[in-house]
Amino acid sequence: MTEADAIRLFKCLADKSRLQILKSLSVEDMYVERLAKRLGLSAPTVCFHLKKLSDAGAVTSYKNQYYMMYSLKKEVFQTSILEIVQQESDEAQLQIQRDEEYRQKVLDAFFEYGKLKAIPAQLKKERIVLEHIARAFECGRMYSEKEVNLILSDFYDDFCTIRRDMVQEGILGRSSVGYWKMGDGV
Amino acid sequence: MDKQQSEFIRYLDERIADCNERAKSLREEGRADEGIFENIRTNVYEIFKTVLSAAEKTCGAGNSAKWDFFLQKTEQIPENWRISYEKAKEHGDIKKMHIESIKLETVQEIREMIMKS
Repeated sequence: MTEADAIRLFKCLADKSRLQILKSLSVEDMYVERLAKRLGLSAPTVCFHLKKLSDAGAVTSYKNQYYMMYSLKKEVFQTSILEIVQQESDEAQLQIQRDEEYRQKVLDAFFEYGKLKAIPAQLKKERIVLEHIARAFECGRMYSEKEVNLILSDFYDDFCTIRRDMVQEGILGRSSVGYWKMGDGV
Repeated sequence: MDKQQSEFIRYLDERIADCNERAKSLREEGRADEGIFENIRTNVYEIFKTVLSAAEKTCGAGNSAKWDFFLQKTEQIPENWRISYEKAKEHGDIKKMHIESIKLETVQEIREMIMKS
């Protein structure tokens, strides 16, 4: 079930009359007039609700002699809400794009001609800035402290703070041998 | 305003109040769509209340021309609703069909009320 399907289904179920129709159909398949009598609704109103339920994939219909019978689509109701919630969002790509736009906005605000103007006060923004600086480091290579300082000084005069924060944030690894870009398995 | 007109307006006002009450309780009950259908009925009563006041302005109070004008409007106005209903039927648009049939039912009820009085 896609996210759009789930939204349509939940919206459709949020109605007492439609729930009553589904309850009736869970007992047995029924035709419009019978449902109308059972639920005290007019036949056109039942038709309207059945159309909505059918569009949401909750019911299905078939012809039986003169009657159009409606039945519950049991497989839809066997899907757990957790399964729906855990499904990847249709919006995932859009969310990535929004994140990237936000990152760029932060970088534009804190960098001028490649130089960091100030260390952001907000941790989330500082993380974005530090990740950007980390691109200057090669993957899988060990750096001496002097080399690290030299690279960082291209970005910001207070390179000691930057270096310390990068280590603290887990962007750079540090040992007695030197520094490396984290996540490289060095 | 003659007696027939004031009685008719009272009838429309009562129907409007009933529909609003029903719409409210349907919404509270969790039957929002059916509440909307009641609002549609209310709109039709409101339309014909306005038509009656226009009929009085156009034809003057207390004469049969006013009621002829009104009855004529109860034929003219729903014409588009009938067309819309047929179009919806052609395309299997159940929701539109239902809405148009509520409007047509309501105007029919209004016509019958006028004929009776």
